[in-house]
Amino acid sequence: MKFKVLFLLLMTPAFAQAGDIMVKKVKEDFSKGLDPYAAYWSQAPEVELSLMAQPMMKPKPEKPETSQLTVQALHNGNYVAFRLRWKDSEKSEAGKLGQFSDAVALEFPVKSNENPPSVIMGEPGNPVHMFHWRAQYQYDEEHGKKDVKDIYPNLAVDAYHMDYADSGKWKGATQDQKEAYMHGMAAGNPQSFPKKAVDEIMAEGFGSSAVRKDQDSFAKGEWKNGEWTVVISRALKRDKGSVLEEGKSSSVAFAVWQGGKDEVGSRKALTLFWTPLKVEGN
Amino acid sequence: MARVKNWQINREMDYPYSESRPKKQWSIIFDLNKCIACQTCSLACKTTWTSGKGQEYMFWNNVETKPYGSYPLAWDVKILEQLGQQAWKAKEPYYGKTIFEAAKPTEVVAHFHPKDEDWMYPNVGEDDCAGNVPHGDHITLPHDKWFFYLPRTCAHCTYPACLASCPRKAIYKREEDGIVLIDQSRCKGYGECVRACPYKKSMYNTHTRVSEKCIGCFPAVEQGLQPMCVQNCIGKIRIMGFVNPPWKMRKNNPIDYLIHDQQIALPYYPQLGLEPNIYYIPPIHADREYLTQMFGPNVDQAIERYKKLKDDPVTQGLLVLMGSTDRIMHSFDVKDGIAYGYDEKGDEVVRVPVTEPFIERTAYDANLKSLRNNTP
Repeated sequence: MKFKVLFLLLMTPAFAQAGDIMVKKVKEDFSKGLDPYAAYWSQAPEVELSLMAQPMMKPKPEKPETSQLTVQALHNGNYVAFRLRWKDSEKSEAGKLGQFSDAVALEFPVKSNENPPSVIMGEPGNPVHMFHWRAQYQYDEEHGKKDVKDIYPNLAVDAYHMDYADSGKWKGATQDQKEAYMHGMAAGNPQSFPKKAVDEIMAEGFGSSAVRKDQDSFAKGEWKNGEWTVVISRALKRDKGSVLEEGKSSSVAFAVWQGGKDEVGSRKALTLFWTPLKVEGN
Repeated sequence: MARVKNWQINREMDYPYSESRPKKQWSIIFDLNKCIACQTCSLACKTTWTSGKGQEYMFWNNVETKPYGSYPLAWDVKILEQLGQQAWKAKEPYYGKTIFEAAKPTEVVAHFHPKDEDWMYPNVGEDDCAGNVPHGDHITLPHDKWFFYLPRTCAHCTYPACLASCPRKAIYKREEDGIVLIDQSRCKGYGECVRACPYKKSMYNTHTRVSEKCIGCFPAVEQGLQPMCVQNCIGKIRIMGFVNPPWKMRKNNPIDYLIHDQQIALPYYPQLGLEPNIYYIPPIHADREYLTQMFGPNVDQAIERYKKLKDDPVTQGLLVLMGSTDRIMHSFDVKDGIAYGYDEKGDEVVRVPVTEPFIERTAYDANLKSLRNNTP
């Protein structure tokens, strides 16, 4: 209960430290060929946000590995694109055991833009809609999912079930038969299959997040000189999700993970309040 | 944090969830005096459950040589280091800290995070004995050079650290048999369970990008059968059954009998606070200080009792029932030199003589009119 009181305080505008994010309308295409360094980004005002170590749910980070996030946003009437920049001394794409990916996420309230739910993962009955980019997912989209042999080239394996170099007269196994030996896939876990650069996720509280099967969002990130620049674009209106309307205000929140510093899941830096978002009309 | 009863350390302790014991608790007892590290258990498990892509390095069941073997590398040394020096006097509750109580304020448990190279040497230290063997040394009995084999599965703990630390609550403990499972459809591969389990029995699959662990062979257990590692143990060192807490102890339950009545089977590293449900009959010839660190201060008593088994036909009978049936024994009985095992309904599933009949034959076979030859 005492956490809730704290959060009500933090959510009131008087405590908001950062300026509103102004989303200008432009005529660029945000559904393909995203470029984090495109010239049009110079039109979008920059907003500096402070991030904190996730404070609610153990395990938590001891300190925020990422303390500043620079945000810009533009829209074209159909899609809104966010350009996110933060300092990260190494590029982490996960793969090996105990390695995690760099990542960033946007979060929007679903029900009410004026009175949004808890900024950390929403509340039961009052969901949030998230867009979660990972360097690892982007690798999937651009190069295909890494095979075990790509991750560990010197690994020695005699044979996998249903997957033989010389199957003789046998026509070979179906994908389903092979996946029966890969438990996450057999269980239909979206985590186990190749990803697009960004996941769309719905949540109603800690531990409730679920990946949406339908998706209308795109992302592209680049790591240069100790800094990530990631663009995430999303449809303004999402069925059974968050809706942003031209000429109106909304709210958005952010989280950043530095995989190289072992950040993953609840070990993240985040904005502890909703940032107002103003979508320019015609 | 809730306060929960942990009978292995004989006190209440902190745990993130309140006490909720299953109707039955899956458990294995291993007699370490009999294990020869043949790894048949490891292969039985491997061929059944972990032959898929991303599971190449996984051994849900492994056998390591103690003190120098470990998989992943130095898991035991590292978690003991995290816990720091703690004291525990025989016949007293453990007043030191558990890993839940020793956790930093930001963490669920005190832990360490193994790196991939730590998982690459499952047989490191195999057959290495403790103590130097200087030139010209020879063995005198009882010997000061020692090692023993430690077979390990998931302990399906009463207070699992993996379950406590999963931010997605994708790990659950089954009410019907106490088996702890990672929901393969909900896990997101954060690896918190890999970090948190002090026994390092949660493992990340790089291909499916989610974590996995020993499932206690629940499809077999549901049919009244013991897990594959137990069924296939050629040394007959294992028995799987259901353990009760001491206040619900049933003397004719083989597991309760060895753990609570005879007190010759002990949990390993009980001071970590998870109430693990794999139990060991300690090896009688290994270093006693090392065994005390691993099995707690009651290890002396357990070893003294084990040494007197020759005068105890009931316990002897139970030890010969181990490995004599694939079925789970819910109760047992020993009478007139025969040991009997019974299933849940009370039907007999196996009977074995406590001592194999000894048959002496004359040197001359009158039927064949020939001398019997003892050529091996």
